Amino acid sequence: MANNSVIQTDRLTKFYGKQRGIVDLSMEVRRGEVFGYLGPNGAGKTTTIRLLLDFIRPTRGHAAVFGLDTTAHSVAIHKRIGYVPGELSLYDNMTGAQYLRYMASLRGGVEWKSVDTLAQRLAADLTRPLRGLSHGNKRKLVLIQAFMARPDLIMLDEPSSGLDPLIQQEFYRLVAEAKANGQTVFLSSHILPEVERVCDRVGIIREGRLMAVEEIPALKARALRRLEIHFAAPVPKEAFANLAGVRDVLIENSILRCTAVGSLDAVIKAAARFEVVNVVSHEPSLEEIFLTFYGGGENNAA
Amino acid sequence: MLRSIFTKTLWDQRRSFLWWAIGLSALSLYTAGLYPSIATPEFTSYVNQLPTALTALFGESFSLATAEGYLNAYFFDLMGPILFVIYGIAAGSGAIAGEEERGTLDVLLANPLERWLVVVHKFVAMVVGMFILAFFLWASLAVTVVLVNLDIDYSRLAQACLSGALLGIAFGALALALGCLRGSRGFSIGGAAAVTLIAYVVKTYAPLVEAMKPYEKLSPFYYANAAKPLINGINVEHAAVLIGLTIILLLASVVAFQRRDVAV
Repeated sequence: MANNSVIQTDRLTKFYGKQRGIVDLSMEVRRGEVFGYLGPNGAGKTTTIRLLLDFIRPTRGHAAVFGLDTTAHSVAIHKRIGYVPGELSLYDNMTGAQYLRYMASLRGGVEWKSVDTLAQRLAADLTRPLRGLSHGNKRKLVLIQAFMARPDLIMLDEPSSGLDPLIQQEFYRLVAEAKANGQTVFLSSHILPEVERVCDRVGIIREGRLMAVEEIPALKARALRRLEIHFAAPVPKEAFANLAGVRDVLIENSILRCTAVGSLDAVIKAAARFEVVNVVSHEPSLEEIFLTFYGGGENNAA
Repeated sequence: MLRSIFTKTLWDQRRSFLWWAIGLSALSLYTAGLYPSIATPEFTSYVNQLPTALTALFGESFSLATAEGYLNAYFFDLMGPILFVIYGIAAGSGAIAGEEERGTLDVLLANPLERWLVVVHKFVAMVVGMFILAFFLWASLAVTVVLVNLDIDYSRLAQACLSGALLGIAFGALALALGCLRGSRGFSIGGAAAVTLIAYVVKTYAPLVEAMKPYEKLSPFYYANAAKPLINGINVEHAAVLIGLTIILLLASVVAFQRRDVAV
């Protein structure tokens, strides 16, 4: 096994009885990278993470973290992992500080200064009991918990859901700093822009199978956007025919609707010849991206 | 208190211990405090007329002649063991299955801890909790004994409390094992409660029904009070049976939990 790989799975498969978890998943996460794990809900992202953490055992295949088999060396692996669960069930009867102190003790101690710093940056109130905390505030606590020990690998399952935008930015900075420190980050998400923003590479999972692993620039080059341009007056159809990377052009009076792949340059320049009132751009859903690039539908029988 | 799973588990129960202490004190006052007023010839002859099948349901023997005979039959034969078993099942089912159902087991197991160690921490917390209850019971009975001036030996009283605690621990270990097997609190509590009921019925009726006699020793309840520790001191062999049963169940818990998938 290459020294460079932090996570390596080999045809990793998990079935819950007859229900599909993940199927024949082989991938590699390299040291020092931020790896995005992108897929819709129910695709098998949490199953993968829980297999890597040895909460559940593979039906077939195997996985190694830091070159250690996950089922045989879970304690040695956990020592070097910080984990943010997707499901935020914490100990309701504790305050944030009590919870973090408990978790720190179970790891064998953490420099409390780093907890205070993280709490300040994420604007987390550690004095309140967890019982009354909102989703976002609980999320802050598990983020602190994952980062506080400066682990070699940080595993985040849908980490930013529930965070308000400012805190989300701070979280992205934390990820960037972790990368700068040489830490590896594995981040699962169903939000494409988030993955594009913080990750170096992304694994795309759908219905339990890894569809592709892409560098972020390559993914961006193929980014799909729904575009709606409102003009001051009706525009001629010919002006928008045969533009590079533009499809599904539809013009109704003064409104142009189209789908753009990759750069928006061509369509924007074409539109600039007329008076533009408004431009609306929609990120496509993950499902649309899958259908466009990875030919969904064939793998429905999982 | 939040240094280890063991101490944290006890810390979680700090309020609950307070309620147990209040309840056990009240119960002690009621049970032992009642003795002087019912140890009368009228009541004794009334009790003697009751059918044995009925009196057996309430306790092994209805001897009212001595204070320790009374306390043994009225308290340490039924109420005492059941209280310990209730705490044991609550703590044992809460240990793994409880955390799993609440969804807190993931963050706990993400720490660098062997699964067996988590089970052992939870088990030790249950044992210590049981001894805390046994101490509450002993202390409140001892105080009541002084208050109503009964002739009862404190050391024997402690041994009777200990014997009940050992029974509670064995049932707690059963609930723990069931929780480790399936991760469902309902399954753990239900299974352990069903075994408790059967064991209690066997223990109660075996002395009366000839056909059940051979099965008497299958009931853990037999080993808690058949030798009457309040009167005769704790029976070492009987205690050893309960401890042995507990160790087997603890090992089963560890094995079951080690190999199982943890639910989300």
